[in-house]
Amino acid sequence: MNALTVALEIFRYKPGHPMRYDTFTVEIEETAHVIDAIDLVWARHDPTLTFRRACHHSSCGSCALRINGIERLPCITRITDVCDGKTPIRLEPLRNFPIVSDLVVDVSEFFQRMSATGMTITCEAEDYLPLTVDSFAVADVVPKMVELPENLSRFNRFEQCIECGICMSACPTMATDRKFLGPAGLAAIYQARHKTDDPVTVKHLLGLADGEHGVWRCHSAFECTEACPQAVDPAGKIMALRRELALRRLQRLFRK
Amino acid sequence: MQTLNYTKTKQAARWFDVRRRKAGMWAYALNRITGIGLVIYLYLHLGVLSLLIRGQSSWDTFVGVARSPFVLTLDVILLAGILIHGLNGLRLAITGFGFSMGAQKALFIIVMLIGAITLLIAAIKIFTI
Repeated sequence: MNALTVALEIFRYKPGHPMRYDTFTVEIEETAHVIDAIDLVWARHDPTLTFRRACHHSSCGSCALRINGIERLPCITRITDVCDGKTPIRLEPLRNFPIVSDLVVDVSEFFQRMSATGMTITCEAEDYLPLTVDSFAVADVVPKMVELPENLSRFNRFEQCIECGICMSACPTMATDRKFLGPAGLAAIYQARHKTDDPVTVKHLLGLADGEHGVWRCHSAFECTEACPQAVDPAGKIMALRRELALRRLQRLFRK
Repeated sequence: MQTLNYTKTKQAARWFDVRRRKAGMWAYALNRITGIGLVIYLYLHLGVLSLLIRGQSSWDTFVGVARSPFVLTLDVILLAGILIHGLNGLRLAITGFGFSMGAQKALFIIVMLIGAITLLIAAIKIFTI
């Protein structure tokens, strides 16, 4: 395999110190991902560099940051896809979140929005199985079938949304309205609403979406859907909520 | 926990940051720019109309200035703003209620092409009549 010499221009910030950009050069395999390059910088150049990573395969969303200005997951972004060989790869933290240190942002606002719906986003398109293979089984061990717990009618895998916060960073409206429920929060409301017909819950969820910082704050840049690494399509969910709210208002109008 | 937060001005500047972004973001930024431009124009227009209070001579002087190539060029720019804002507004009305979501980029290109053709015809008329 060929090795590449890659320059990384990394955003740096430590509390009490002014922000700056530091440039590091690393030798790395051409098949490597951006997270591998960040790991190398941390291991060989600067152990004070702060960043998040865990799964290395786009399941946890914790490593999300901006690569050359665009929100991406460095664990699945190949070095060769973002390196032109001339200019350094610029790495910056997500936008629209308070910056804690270097590439790490405080994502608590994201989870506050998600919890407003009372549920996590779940996938409609997944197959539901009465029995499923134990996902923790070791590769060369015969897979163990897991019994469906009594209180569940079916298994329901967590949806594509990996709660990385990329959509909130990509959204230009989030930049000037910190109370905006945001793409992930509104997509979660959409999913929660379509999981229930209970009138009280539906009224609560649509009330959230119809609020001052709800779906009508979205100004249709569609960047959330463009940037989402898991095809959740938050913009589509927001527009669908708008349609339902508008239809309900029209129905009320004609009933009167 | 001490964190770094950007100023409101820097945050608002992100409305116009279209670097490496897709068609939807370009449409968003264009709508904001033309929207602000049209609001400024509205006040200018009201100011110009107030010349009528000063009598016919001041209005005739203005009409003379309004026919200069410079002001006619401003008229074309104004029309471009109206077309971009209005046609993109139609696109947003369609997609904003969940219709043709998958075609929002194509819709943007189509309405901008319609706008460009209309602007070209109008510009020729403005400078030749």
